[in-house]
Amino acid sequence: MSRAPGYLKSPTLLLIVVVVAYILGERLAGLMTLDALMLFMYFLGIAAALNIIMGFAGYVSFGHAVFLGIGAYTYILLVYFVPTMNSLQKMGAGLGVFAVAVVAGLAAAAVAATIGAVVLRLRGAFFAIATIGLDFAALYIVKGVVPTLNPEQFYGAQVILPSWAIVPKEDVFNAMLLTFLLVILTNYAVRRSGFGMGLLAIKEDEDAAEVLGVPTAKYKTIAFTLSAFFTGMLGAIFALNGGGVDEGIFHLGHSINMIVMIVIGGLGTVSGPIVGGIIYYWLYDLLLIHYPGLNLVILGIIVGLVVLFAPEGIIGILRKLTFQGVRLRELLE
Amino acid sequence: MVNVILDLKNVTKRFGGLVAVDEVSFSVRRGEILGLIGPNGAGKTTLFNVITGVYKPEGGRVIFKGVDITGMPAHRIAKMGIAKTHQIVKPFNDMTVLENAMIGALFGKRSGKIGMGEAREVARRMVEFVGLGEKANHLASQLTLHEKKLLEIARALSAEPELLLLDEALAGLNPREIEESLGLIKRVNEEMGVTIIMVEHVMHAVMNIAERIVVLHYGRKISEGSPEEVANDPEVITAYLGDPSLALRFVRRRGA
Repeated sequence: MSRAPGYLKSPTLLLIVVVVAYILGERLAGLMTLDALMLFMYFLGIAAALNIIMGFAGYVSFGHAVFLGIGAYTYILLVYFVPTMNSLQKMGAGLGVFAVAVVAGLAAAAVAATIGAVVLRLRGAFFAIATIGLDFAALYIVKGVVPTLNPEQFYGAQVILPSWAIVPKEDVFNAMLLTFLLVILTNYAVRRSGFGMGLLAIKEDEDAAEVLGVPTAKYKTIAFTLSAFFTGMLGAIFALNGGGVDEGIFHLGHSINMIVMIVIGGLGTVSGPIVGGIIYYWLYDLLLIHYPGLNLVILGIIVGLVVLFAPEGIIGILRKLTFQGVRLRELLE
Repeated sequence: MVNVILDLKNVTKRFGGLVAVDEVSFSVRRGEILGLIGPNGAGKTTLFNVITGVYKPEGGRVIFKGVDITGMPAHRIAKMGIAKTHQIVKPFNDMTVLENAMIGALFGKRSGKIGMGEAREVARRMVEFVGLGEKANHLASQLTLHEKKLLEIARALSAEPELLLLDEALAGLNPREIEESLGLIKRVNEEMGVTIIMVEHVMHAVMNIAERIVVLHYGRKISEGSPEEVANDPEVITAYLGDPSLALRFVRRRGA
């Protein structure tokens, strides 16, 4: 490890700094629209959020669209119905938005903690299948409940924010940036902690981990809850930027997007979701422009190839290599 | 009175209609090496799983250091100072040898009170103690079976246990590796002061190293005593060893 050149001491931190510098640079230069930049952070953010439970603990969740949706609906309904929340979100150039998004994230986290106590007893494919069920269950609940909240104004489960609840885009951007940083740095902190080591042990062999003293049930629930919290926050800010929310947010496709990003990038690493998110964002854009209609088919094929030939993802492959006598495994987190 | 570290009282574990462990009682003295033997399916591994909290027994009590730990979750029992190695090795394959041992250190006796740096030091010490120092940065998946068995021991020792359960730590090893491992087990017992219960099929090994032996047969304890007493016990001979002269040969080899 001591042989590593200074700038290579922590390529992960370097990557984070570069990405943040890129976002800030684009923001100042104004070449990318705020919407595009926010979508970029949103993609990387949800990938990093899912990584906490799926990457570290090895639990493949197809149910994270639920947490996106709970965050989104909580935020939108809060500012719609609660005047203090509406005033709060307009304060502090984005800090207010961030604060309301925290409330929305907590709602998602509370649901995750409750559901997690049950579904996290399932393992492997059974857990994955149960979480697919969550997407559909949430969809039907929202379709049933939301329209009754304000039958005259709401069109089905769709809630569109009236002009009095709209926040300047610059504020939304700041809140998104703050949330993005928070989820990435949380990933980094988890990776370097005993908690993270425990999660990785659970991924490898849950029974062996438990006998070694890892409180597996507690750790899985914390990871699931933390993951849902950030997913909910991101869903909330994303919805706010879109000016409202509808039941489409619960679509299974959103969950799959998140999974695809971390699979491409590399599960259980800090840099994996970042790299995977960047590639996915870029591909998604590129394919949508050049091959509209076929974009998802092509993306599907690419993902299939990654799973077949590089199941560890890009960072996983890099971690197997040696650079100037230094095993990258020791550096790339 | 002898200092008892573990006390099993009428422990019973059933799987459906099968009684895997049937009213088993015995005590383990602090500092000793106790052999636990019996034919396949005698309930040895099941008993280990009851002690470590993987299974909840249907009856009886498990008392460790005077505390009733019956039915406690496995991770809490680990924290109290009981560690186990697995019969079928279970290394965390995608972690290095050192990281494997760190898991033991982070969640063992000092769980919650030990930092990452200190855990790494404990882990390194134990990895070196079992002789895997040069492989500390290798992935566990790259080790040979013998090395994986040593890693199991290093990982368990990193938890700084008072009681170590070895489940067939010698199975599948060649004679030279068995000798080395026996030396290691003795050093763990003598130098670290760890009490050991070892389930073993390699007869001469367990007869050699254990001070006392408990024999299980169809889930019941049929004998307990020194290796000589057990080997001469008619019930053990019929149930397990079969041939009395064979049993006596094992005992004689203790001197050799």
